[in-house]
Amino acid sequence: MTQVTLENVSKSFNETTVISDFNLEIDNKEFVVLVGPSGCGKTTTLRMIAGLEQVSGGAIRFGDRDVTALRPGKRNCAMVFQNYALYPHMTVAQNITYGMRVRGAAEGEIKQALANAARTLDLEPYLDRLPKKLSGGQRQRVAIGRALVREPDVYLFDEPLSNLDAKLRIEMRVEIRDLHQRLETTIVYVTHDQVEAMTMADRVVVMNEGRIEQAADPITLYRQPANLFVAGFIGAPSMNFLPGKISGGTFTGDDGCSFPVPAARLGASGDLPKVVCGVRPEHVLADGASPAKVKQKIKVVEPLGPHTLQVGMVGKVQFTAQVPASRHANPDQEVELALDVDELHFFDATSGKSLAPKKT
Amino acid sequence: MNIGSVKQFGPTARGLVIGGVMGWAFLTLFPFYWTFVTSFKNLRIIVKGPTYFPFIDFQPSAHGWVELFTGVRGEMFKNLANSTMVGVSAALVATLFGTMAAYALTRYRFRVPLAAGLAFAIIAIGGYVGLTELGMKRFEAISLAFAVGLAVSVVLGNIKLPGPLLGNEDIVFWFISQRMFPPIVSAFALFLLYSEFGKAGFKMTDTYLGLTLCYIAFSLPIVVWLMRDFFEALPPEIEEAAIVDDVPVWRIFVQIVLPMVMPGLAATFMITLAFVWNEYLFALFLTNTTWQTLPILVASQISQRGDEWWALSTAALTAIVPMMLVVWLLGKLMRSGLMLGSIK
Repeated sequence: MTQVTLENVSKSFNETTVISDFNLEIDNKEFVVLVGPSGCGKTTTLRMIAGLEQVSGGAIRFGDRDVTALRPGKRNCAMVFQNYALYPHMTVAQNITYGMRVRGAAEGEIKQALANAARTLDLEPYLDRLPKKLSGGQRQRVAIGRALVREPDVYLFDEPLSNLDAKLRIEMRVEIRDLHQRLETTIVYVTHDQVEAMTMADRVVVMNEGRIEQAADPITLYRQPANLFVAGFIGAPSMNFLPGKISGGTFTGDDGCSFPVPAARLGASGDLPKVVCGVRPEHVLADGASPAKVKQKIKVVEPLGPHTLQVGMVGKVQFTAQVPASRHANPDQEVELALDVDELHFFDATSGKSLAPKKT
Repeated sequence: MNIGSVKQFGPTARGLVIGGVMGWAFLTLFPFYWTFVTSFKNLRIIVKGPTYFPFIDFQPSAHGWVELFTGVRGEMFKNLANSTMVGVSAALVATLFGTMAAYALTRYRFRVPLAAGLAFAIIAIGGYVGLTELGMKRFEAISLAFAVGLAVSVVLGNIKLPGPLLGNEDIVFWFISQRMFPPIVSAFALFLLYSEFGKAGFKMTDTYLGLTLCYIAFSLPIVVWLMRDFFEALPPEIEEAAIVDDVPVWRIFVQIVLPMVMPGLAATFMITLAFVWNEYLFALFLTNTTWQTLPILVASQISQRGDEWWALSTAALTAIVPMMLVVWLLGKLMRSGLMLGSIK
């Protein structure tokens, strides 16, 4: 069953079109993450689902209900904001139960919901405190608690972890993921952090300039990026792009490298004068046994412990290689890197689209 | 914020700083002291020239205070009560309505055709002139012209008209612009308007309602202007969280927004009250005996018998002390750091 449907949704502010012809179906109990660079329209999309922004065109449905024209309060969704948006003059307990009281819920019901939320989120010791006496992580848990007692059809998270420090962010990531599994509810989650997107989502929707570039589960996004944008956005450090051409099944890079392309990576497309070969840093082979070799002039060496990153230039483009920690290289040194030909991605340089055959 | 203390300066610099601060304190506090001391003088002490230290320079006399309390110098307590009633009610109503207007102007987007505003001006002024020329009485003419003008402009404001659209910024500027011309311009017109009301059997001059309404009208622009700044400083997400939670707009305003701007509300109320409390011009025009306020009484102490400083001082102190109490009480509210912790 489809829980949230966005059908041909578009949004313009005055003359500027932010979202155009946006189609997305979110399944019941699915955890969907909208990710993209700032200004790509992901937050606007979320606010349109919540009803805080009106759509300029198209329709939004929750299950069978058309909510396009409903005001936010009638849609029965709960939203968690980046800056927590707690009511500063109310205690934690009042913050969590305020919505229920406004809706006129029975006192016993309110007590029960508060107790459940406090237990779920480990907030029991803090119920009588004001938000200003809480840490960032606790405040965000209160905001989630406020969403929990609403028992909404869909939870909306707008970059909820961006204000937290790195360590807390990883903890909260696990907590929210765990919460999703226990509550079994639909979650739409917005972030600009691709690691957050990859680690939390059932399905990641990569957005750019108001369009969906690709919507797929994290592993598919990583292994079969549909285009140059997704290839460059997903994965850290980013994929390297070598410009070149393909003729007769052989890739010739602008830097002079040349190697045959495995047929499995290329689908039906034949010779192309302008292609981009994508190489993830982690797909540089340690042992050097590969027909595909490029020469890298090292600029910076970053030892990370488990492995080392060599950042440098291949021809005229920047190239980052992940090499075993045991290997020692110096800046300005020129080294030969062997690439794993079975993990290479090829894109049409003009359209940006992947040349790989569609997955079966 | 703490950017340092006087301790980081050398002895000379520290001396200068402390001396400067003391000097400024003396400059601001001396008038209070002078007024206080002078209120305990009488004619004999004053003609001897300036004296500053009671019991040393001069033997204090309660003459001025006795005159004040016995009502020889005008009914001080009636005027104090008038000022309090008019001031508090005008400040309350202006703060209430101004705050609502400011909130609407911050959170909602308005688009009013300029033509709607022009239509109001033309119908109201033209209608009044036309109707009086046709022989209608002034009161009836002005009431009718304004009612029709208002109704027409409200209807026109909601339909698409050619010409420029006025946005929120323009509306706020319109509010503030009413305080840009000198009050004397409208004081005279207001007096005439009130007189016409009186002739029509509805007494406005020298009444509680007349004076209070006038002060509300002149306080509203300041309230809107000040409160809008406070509302703009609020993160909209707090209200959006409540909107998503299906909280009605009026409850969001009363139970969430107002508590967050409480310091601003206190400051605005105080500024409005101080304005009304000190106001002289309108009180002079629009009242004579029944609803006379304190500033009129204080000024009237400068009589033809010469400056009777003890009378002036007791009257001035009576006017100052209540306001100092209000500042002290509301100052506490203003310092409460409610906003901390909702965000970041």
